[in-house]
Amino acid sequence: MERREALRLMGAASVFSVLSSDLFAATLQAQIAGNKAGSLGTLSAGQNEIVVAMSDVMIPATGTPGAKAAKVNEFIDLILTEWATEEERKVFLEGLAETDRRTNALFGHGFADASAKEQAAIVQGFDEELTVSHSEYSPKEPRPWELTLLLPFFAQMRRLTLVGYYTSPIGQEQELKVDIIPGALHGCVPAEPEVKP
Amino acid sequence: MRTVKKPATYDAIIIGSGMTGGWAAKELTEKGLKVLVLEAGRPIEPDRDYVEHVPIAELKFRGMNNRRETLKDQPIQRTCYACDEWASKFFVNDTENPYTTDPAKPFAWIRGRQVGGKSIMWARQSYRWSDLDFEANAREGIGADWPIRYADIEPWYNYVEDFAGITGQAEGLPQLPDGHFLPPMEMNCAEIAVKEAIARQFGRERVMTIGRAAVLTQTHNGRAACHYCGPCHRGCITQSYFSSLNATLPVAEKTGRLTLRPYSVVHSLIFDSQTRRVTGVKVIDGQTHKAMEFQGRLIFLCASALESTRILLNSATPEFSTGLANSSGELGRNLMDHIMGGGADGIIPGYLDRVQFGNRPNGIYVPRFRNVSSREKNFLRGYGFQGQAERESWQRGIHESGFGASFKSRLRTPGPWKMTFSGFGECLPNPANFVEIDKARVDAWGVPVLKIHCEWRDNEKTLLRDMMIQAAEMLAAAGAENIHLFNHNSPPGLTIHEMGTARMGADPKTSVLNKHNQAHDVKNLFLTDGACMASSSCVNPSLTYMALTARACDYAVSEMKKGEL
Repeated sequence: MERREALRLMGAASVFSVLSSDLFAATLQAQIAGNKAGSLGTLSAGQNEIVVAMSDVMIPATGTPGAKAAKVNEFIDLILTEWATEEERKVFLEGLAETDRRTNALFGHGFADASAKEQAAIVQGFDEELTVSHSEYSPKEPRPWELTLLLPFFAQMRRLTLVGYYTSPIGQEQELKVDIIPGALHGCVPAEPEVKP
Repeated sequence: MRTVKKPATYDAIIIGSGMTGGWAAKELTEKGLKVLVLEAGRPIEPDRDYVEHVPIAELKFRGMNNRRETLKDQPIQRTCYACDEWASKFFVNDTENPYTTDPAKPFAWIRGRQVGGKSIMWARQSYRWSDLDFEANAREGIGADWPIRYADIEPWYNYVEDFAGITGQAEGLPQLPDGHFLPPMEMNCAEIAVKEAIARQFGRERVMTIGRAAVLTQTHNGRAACHYCGPCHRGCITQSYFSSLNATLPVAEKTGRLTLRPYSVVHSLIFDSQTRRVTGVKVIDGQTHKAMEFQGRLIFLCASALESTRILLNSATPEFSTGLANSSGELGRNLMDHIMGGGADGIIPGYLDRVQFGNRPNGIYVPRFRNVSSREKNFLRGYGFQGQAERESWQRGIHESGFGASFKSRLRTPGPWKMTFSGFGECLPNPANFVEIDKARVDAWGVPVLKIHCEWRDNEKTLLRDMMIQAAEMLAAAGAENIHLFNHNSPPGLTIHEMGTARMGADPKTSVLNKHNQAHDVKNLFLTDGACMASSSCVNPSLTYMALTARACDYAVSEMKKGEL
């Protein structure tokens, strides 16, 4: 049964609250399917490898899949290609080059070829620099229409990695366990015990 | 919705199918009239067009919006919070629907042209006005006195609430009369704590109550209870919130007396100087751009405040050279909107082992407490607060240091409770805030556009400063940490409570409409949307538009039956 039809019938029968929202899981799954990976519009193969590796350092696979499995790199490529301004894109691509330069200077090879420990050290460096310069870019979340990527490279990378991951099917369903149709409202109830990573 | 084209004389033509047009359609068809509803925009099919359950993962830009397209086609609409990546299709294309302003005095005109109008995307807050509002102009000698009082509209508030279904909590406050409420929605942990702290500090002077909203907390008139998915402004397949599309238009349709014509851009009204009546409507077909006319015995303007006034301004005749029904010269004047965007937020400590289950499509409300029993020295009238507490999501990580497994684990758990109060302040009627026809511009259908002259004045700016401080005081009373005052500098219009420009009044010399929303100058012409308002109150106006519309329809039909119309 089509998702909307199911909902409407239930609305008409007024029995919504007694039904499990599991019923909708299958139909929602069908909606989510079919987002197939396209080819990259901005990132070169080499740049893409850095993005894949760095996003996965930031949000790694734990008890749930990480940024790489969620194809965060494809989302970042889309944003660079169809959303960002030329200037924002330039900052990002320069940041990727800088990532490789730093890794080469310290470890003698590029970021994508570095060990997990080496990659973490590079990311740690970017993170600390951004913390120091924190006040230089707006720490308050802008309103949606004011959203900009005219930020330091690592602030761009963090925003796009987090958005790309947590709004992906993996992020929504496996990591956050978002239920689109809760079916009830309870103002103040115990939190579910946290799933250990 | 049935969309037939047939040449005929209708008993009534209603211009607009949104909040007020839907009510006029329901009332007039139920009273036996053959009605034509003209809607400028396209039809909406809920099964096809509603998007409330579309997962964010399905959106191309994952909620970051189609920046390039909206910058080009919706540079104004995109500044409305509800014009998001799901729902931007319910907002107009700004290049097809231009208007002009002085560049130094921006006005954000947020519009929805489709069957259902803005009632699809509205925020559903539903409050009654009180005599504190209806008497304000007379008491202070500002603008024109309202020709009605609370007693005149109270039965109609009852009537529209009983049909629409309004959730809320009775509080017994004179400045915010209780309605016929469905059960209230629950406050969450932090809100309960803040409510109790405000009660301890401020007694009955400041009361925090759960929002009153046109959302069903139980099955009502054949419509299902809310399932708490949250984003009502994207539609509701179970019809659990009030919109014309979900509630009034289906009832009108069932009478068999409704003809709804989408893609009907109204150019102007046709006035017969012999009979001194409007006889019909000039329409440009939205798709073919062909001009056509429809005849009706009654005309109801329900096109939204500024669109209805624009139609009257574009309907000038030799006799009414400054706009139809404008012998008073008040048409276009006294444009108002609520001043918003001032307030404060803060972190409420504790309750970290508790969450809210379900996405509540409603917030909390603090009714006006300024100039209620007190008299403020620095400003007239007052403001109310909307707001909510919520635990911050993964998005806080965008601005936090960290990476790796521990970072990911931290972001899985919601952050602390953040309480926000955001004020909505009354705007005084001022004839210098006005609209006129810009003779140099037409829209995509060749209809002359509005030039809008509007700015916040001293009283509104003073209210805004006061709301920031008082919001912070209430947060401090609740023991909030990291209290942060904000002022979003919202331009007029963006609150989408635009009102006035064809005000009601007892005196035809100083007002456009009488106490029944009937034009003083043209007996068979009614206007029941926000243009009719003589003052703005500080509470959300839609429920009042609904009540005034039902009341005007009742009057019009009884006059018709008496042979007076």
